[in-house]
Amino acid sequence: MCWNLFIAIVPTKANLYITPLHLFQSLPKYHLFTTTGLNKDSPSGTSNPHFSSITPLQIDPDQELFGNKASTMTRLILSTSNIMTGGPSIIRKPGADRSNLELTNSLRSNFLAAQQDYSPISSSNGNSPDSFEEEESLRRPPASIWTTRDGSDYYIPTIDWSMSGLAEEPSQYDITAKLFYLPGADVRDRAQHTKDAIQLVLKELGVDSINLLIVSFPGMSFEGDCEWEADKKNSAQGNDEEEIASWPALEELYDHGTVKKLGLAEYGSEKLSRFLNKVRIRPKVDQVNVKDCCNVPPPLLKLAKLENIELLVHNDCTNILPSGTLRELLGQGVRGAGVLSESKRGLDGMKGDLLPEWVVKYTAVVRDRGVIENKGYFAAAQLRE
Amino acid sequence: MGLLALGTPLEWPEAKCKANQVRQWGIQQLLAIWNRAKGKEKDALLWGDEVEYLVVTYKKDDPEVTLSLRQADILHALAQDEKLCGHGGCVPDLQEVAYVLPFQCIGSTDSRRETALPIFHPEFGRFMLEATPGKPWGIGFRDLLDVEPNMKLRRKIAKEHMQPEEYPITLTTYPRLGSPGTFTSPYYPPSGEKLRSQFVPDEIANPHIRFPTLAANIRSRRGRKVQVNVPIFKDKNTTWPWKDPTVNYDLHKWPEDDDVRQGAAPDNFIHMDAMAFGPILLALTAGTPIYKGFLADTDVRWNQISAAVDDRTPEELGEKPLKHDRWRILKSRYAPNSTYISEDPRLRKEYLDPNLIIDPDMKQQLMDGGMDSLLATHFAHLFIRDPIVIFAEDLNELDLSKADHFENLQSTNWQHIRFKPPPTGSDIGWRVEFRPMEIQVTDFENAAFSVFIVLITRVILSFDLNFYIPITKTDENMQTAHKRDAVLEDKFYFRKNPFPTRYPRPHSASGVQSASGTTTPATISRPPTPSGPVEDEYAPMSIDEIMNGSKGDSTNDFPGLIPLVESYLDSMNVDVETRCELTAYLDLIRKRANGSLWTAAKWIRSFVQGHGDYKGDSVVGEKINHDLIGAVIDIDGPGRKNVKNVERFLGPVVEPCGGSK
Repeated sequence: MCWNLFIAIVPTKANLYITPLHLFQSLPKYHLFTTTGLNKDSPSGTSNPHFSSITPLQIDPDQELFGNKASTMTRLILSTSNIMTGGPSIIRKPGADRSNLELTNSLRSNFLAAQQDYSPISSSNGNSPDSFEEEESLRRPPASIWTTRDGSDYYIPTIDWSMSGLAEEPSQYDITAKLFYLPGADVRDRAQHTKDAIQLVLKELGVDSINLLIVSFPGMSFEGDCEWEADKKNSAQGNDEEEIASWPALEELYDHGTVKKLGLAEYGSEKLSRFLNKVRIRPKVDQVNVKDCCNVPPPLLKLAKLENIELLVHNDCTNILPSGTLRELLGQGVRGAGVLSESKRGLDGMKGDLLPEWVVKYTAVVRDRGVIENKGYFAAAQLRE
Repeated sequence: MGLLALGTPLEWPEAKCKANQVRQWGIQQLLAIWNRAKGKEKDALLWGDEVEYLVVTYKKDDPEVTLSLRQADILHALAQDEKLCGHGGCVPDLQEVAYVLPFQCIGSTDSRRETALPIFHPEFGRFMLEATPGKPWGIGFRDLLDVEPNMKLRRKIAKEHMQPEEYPITLTTYPRLGSPGTFTSPYYPPSGEKLRSQFVPDEIANPHIRFPTLAANIRSRRGRKVQVNVPIFKDKNTTWPWKDPTVNYDLHKWPEDDDVRQGAAPDNFIHMDAMAFGPILLALTAGTPIYKGFLADTDVRWNQISAAVDDRTPEELGEKPLKHDRWRILKSRYAPNSTYISEDPRLRKEYLDPNLIIDPDMKQQLMDGGMDSLLATHFAHLFIRDPIVIFAEDLNELDLSKADHFENLQSTNWQHIRFKPPPTGSDIGWRVEFRPMEIQVTDFENAAFSVFIVLITRVILSFDLNFYIPITKTDENMQTAHKRDAVLEDKFYFRKNPFPTRYPRPHSASGVQSASGTTTPATISRPPTPSGPVEDEYAPMSIDEIMNGSKGDSTNDFPGLIPLVESYLDSMNVDVETRCELTAYLDLIRKRANGSLWTAAKWIRSFVQGHGDYKGDSVVGEKINHDLIGAVIDIDGPGRKNVKNVERFLGPVVEPCGGSK
């Protein structure tokens, strides 16, 4: 068996991330992941290949990948808990552009925190072994003590629901959720994903409705130095049909009063006007990330005003959780959680084919005081074992 | 300016006898307020700002520029404007109300709130005017956008009620206030009975009886005139040692005229003797490089006001042994705070001032009345002072539904952050006044700094940040902020890591809900114990590092206040137009902090030193003053492009934001 280990070093302005890449020259048993999703300084400038084109290598269908049993599906549910008091990891670095640092950093620190909190207190053991990485993975507590399996759901880390809820009456809050449909997931599952995501948010915050739900469809952006051009380009992005087909699930939440207001992300003027003509419950919000918030494409401004749609600013990337990033987060590396196997050492990790499906970000703001009380993420991924 | 009650003021010797009664009654009123309002939590955030104008008489072709003393006429003109008063704006102080409460002119109906026009107030100086918004701001982002237009509106309304050659300008001080010659219109000679100043006439002060009494009683309590000495800026032709040429050593009109013969005006200092001259954001907003017609070697005004209202006696100052007075007092009534009042568990006792002077009886009374120790300590510290202005009529009977005696002491303790209990008889909540910032020349800058402070408070609450340092370090920072160009050249003590310690999950789920939003979470299974020496928690940092974050070459890893604000904004639903405006505000502050834009002090210095009439001798003559005032008037209008160095001061003229079209 031949192993080639590559280390990809992706410098950003503020951080260095080291990602082990396992390239299997002759054995097509694993996915090839290029790098993490932290590379906002992509030299290509306008479009970032790492976000949009992480595709697994072909899996050889004739090979049994992970043992001899038939493959089963597990749904991984990752959570950050409340990140507002999470310290420096969520603070924007000066000059930073949009990124998914907030999500990846806060997941990572929540995993670490859970490992510490749920571990029995142990005395530190003298001298460190030769390899730091080796020591890390040995010292890591077994996943079973800080994660929870519940049927086919696997919570990373364990969520203590008794800690959920808000401090004041639900009516005091403005609660916004933003749901990212990730590119690899099956479009037909979006209705279910939407329900699942909102259920988790409601449970976490201890409320029965939220004020605004914004959905982000894959493959959309406002890129380019000229705002007119960005708006034009946007028109051809995404997939109108699939997006419109996904909307009834949101309208249903609206009809039930679970969501008071619906919103879209990254819709340019042309896409937006096509969309408005096709849906029953119209979005009230379009959340855009333009290079300079003072230079919103004029056609979009005009349309938004005419249709009474609020244009909000955001700082997220659309493909917020590429599978490579997720694998690194859960893997055996120095910065991984040690849940997922990526080598034959196996340890107590799970193995399998990993597919991130959706991410939901939620924010609860005490309305009259402008204080953010609770903010966090849930992410769901399919693991085929 | 707090309290403007009418009545018969007591002269100092008599007021001194009544001081204890006022203090006792004040404490009882405070306790009554405390008991009424201690449960007042979870109020909506409302906030306001105050802009103070100097009124100048300026004509382009007339070299003589003067301060206009027509404050009373202007306020009358404003008060008689029916449209203004009919829409919430007014001049409440002219209506002989007992107290001036912020925003008391708020109409009861919503429609009236919507259209509330600004409110104007008199100030100590008769050449000054103060304006506040007609209704308080909320925290909605749309409200933040209204601040700057409202400031512009205030200036416009003020101007409309003045004579054509009068202008409301926002400089911290008038550059030639107290210079020989004519600097007021109408002209009055100096050396009046109340102020007894060599440099300014009594008529410079608001004629309302409270103001001259305040000045006279401060002087009387001190036993001599106030002394305000500012180091002169030594330019290439400044004579050295420098003696203030405006000081008259031969004046023999009042007993206090002996002060200068007894060393009140040391060499190399600009000497001032009356109240009319009257830490990080202080340095960042620096705008006071000129006094009495001379370039000073300091950039901000704080210490000068502090000295101007310093009523401490020689015994309290430590110049004589304690005999008649109760204690030595380390700071003026106008000084940086000496107390922390939060019950945050992260407040370590090491942060408190070990030499704090308090009145132990007052503290005991407050604690017996149910107040916590920290807050009681704070008020027991404020109450070491004497009340300065006492009205005979108020001493007849103690009215616990009022706050006049409490306010008498509270409002003459000018700390850099003032904690204000809810006013009686209103639904206004607990208030905090952030006072150190210097007024900026333009409404854009004033809006930027006001909005920034409001956002910072939201950031601290949202991220549960901790900025505690030993409070005596704040005093040091305050002094540092005075230095010329401290914004770029000096370092300030600041906490290195503002983030909270993580609260571990309880091993057994206790189901205790967290109570964040206003305080720290209540779920502490293993409370984070502060560890390590306090000295390791803070470090000297430049303003750039504090505002914009530590760079790679720093030994600190401070995130920067502006990145913190941006992270907060990233988590909020902000519309494009608001974000555009906020970006412009944050840009201004970022660039002032890193030196790519100048402070007002630097711009004014550069204006003077680059003026054709300037002789390199630190003197700011009448022609320079005229042109400087002209530039200040022009800078906020169409004449902006002609103002020298305007781009280095305010940045390039930005096109109107696309978001508003």
